[in-house]
Amino acid sequence: MIVLEQKKFQEIEKMTTGYNRLLVLGCETCAAMSFAGGQRQVAELASAIRVARKTTGEQGEVLEEAIARQCEPEFVDLIKDEVSGCDAVLSLACGAGVQMLAERFQDKVVLPGCNTTFLGVTEELGVWSERCAGCGNCILDKTAGLCPIARCSKQLLNGPCGGSMNGKCEISKDVDCVWQLIIDRLTRLNRLEMLEEIFPVKDWSPAGHGGPRKMVREDLKS
Amino acid sequence: MRRSFKEALASGEFLVTAEVVPQKGIDAGTLTPIIKDLNDVVDALSVPDNPRALMSMSACAISRLILENGGDAIMHVSCRDRNRIALQSDLLGAAFLGIRNILCINGDHVRFGDHIDAMPVYDLDSVQLLETVRSLTQGRDMAGQQLVGIPDFCVGTAANPEADPLPPQLLKFEKKVQFGIDFVQTHPVFNIDNLVPFVNQAREKGVKLIAGVRLLMAEEASSYKDGSYPGLFIPEDLLAEIEGIKVEKSVEIAAQLIKAMREKKLCDGVHISAPGYEPKIMDIIKAAGI
Ligand code: SF4
Ligand code: SF4
Repeated sequence: MIVLEQKKFQEIEKMTTGYNRLLVLGCETCAAMSFAGGQRQVAELASAIRVARKTTGEQGEVLEEAIARQCEPEFVDLIKDEVSGCDAVLSLACGAGVQMLAERFQDKVVLPGCNTTFLGVTEELGVWSERCAGCGNCILDKTAGLCPIARCSKQLLNGPCGGSMNGKCEISKDVDCVWQLIIDRLTRLNRLEMLEEIFPVKDWSPAGHGGPRKMVREDLKS
Repeated sequence: MRRSFKEALASGEFLVTAEVVPQKGIDAGTLTPIIKDLNDVVDALSVPDNPRALMSMSACAISRLILENGGDAIMHVSCRDRNRIALQSDLLGAAFLGIRNILCINGDHVRFGDHIDAMPVYDLDSVQLLETVRSLTQGRDMAGQQLVGIPDFCVGTAANPEADPLPPQLLKFEKKVQFGIDFVQTHPVFNIDNLVPFVNQAREKGVKLIAGVRLLMAEEASSYKDGSYPGLFIPEDLLAEIEGIKVEKSVEIAAQLIKAMREKKLCDGVHISAPGYEPKIMDIIKAAGI
């Protein structure tokens, strides 16, 4: 999932000031799973904005809506009418969702209510952590299913740095050294010899450093 | 003419290198006399590349200053701040300026430095950097294109004998050795017996092992404990021992470590560092009797 966090209320309040009819728009997929932009967070945020507006005397209506996915045009188009009736949309989706809205509603102000953080997993309720950096060429087959690109602070591909200590990363005692996790897992799998292989330099062009990425599947195009 | 570091490595004698940290700014007025003094007594001066991610003048410039003052320099090359294009370009530039020895490292993470909001690069890791250096010294860049004028480097890398667990570090060392390194400079060592597996592996591969020795200062004890110095693992009893001690005692501790390493033949030389207290390096060398 894409992990998001809602922006600080002060920032949201500042960026939405002046837009009388404001639509707070949630996304029921990753944003909801991140407890940052699902229907419930939309309702909470909308009422907080209403309360704040009452205090400051700002006029206008704060509307609420949530769609299944803001990153897909068919869901976005379902709220065409609501969007046309407002001055700005405060999107509680990831950056992709915000931009999809901006593309579909060319004349409408679209504002980001969340910070998009990383591709990760829910470790437990309220705890998410990073797993993938979307490098475009997955190497997990060589690293025991654990990603050094997303999870090693230095993106090292040939084993741990000299700062790895007792399984922790040099940057903090609270961060696991993923290379230690890789070694432990390879040991359990009886595949430690995989570590002897020299990892060649990585081609970063599929990781987005070759310019914005686009994927076309001719077989799926109508 | 004095012998080069490469010749010193080949001599089989016990080697001494010392660290000089480039200053923040372009005034090398304080560093120059230290360099001049140390040049007379060491085999080479080792110049870190923005150590601990603290921004300072380039290691290349200070390495050149060392050469101009009659010494030999080991320029550190860190993967943290440059991509593969910049690394290769700077390596060629260094060779052009007469720098013959390089130490290839990953580099401490930016979070330890004074620009913690910087974007770390790590396009290559230290193993891949060694492969790149080998390619340059064979006349080709990473894209396979031919160089006009081929650099010649005496190549070193770093290793941490104090790392826990040790086997992954040994395995990584094994990878590095495949790219034809000449020497390995270790992180500072305090449990000198931890050098044994490394020195055995290095000798088997024909690589010289230069053991790191660091001056421990009482006033820095709390930073040693809280992890502010990545890769510096100091045993609890030694941390207790340095509490409140005077610098003379610190010098003695470092000198004793050198003597013990030398006596036990645990290394082919030592690399002495005393960041911020460089003039004390001379005292350590004298006290160690080298
Ligand atoms: S190797 Fe690349 S695609 Fe695979 S998990 Fe890591 S960042 Fe993601
Ligand atoms: S300690 Fe481990 S995770 Fe952290 S930078 Fe070093 S190798 Fe990567």
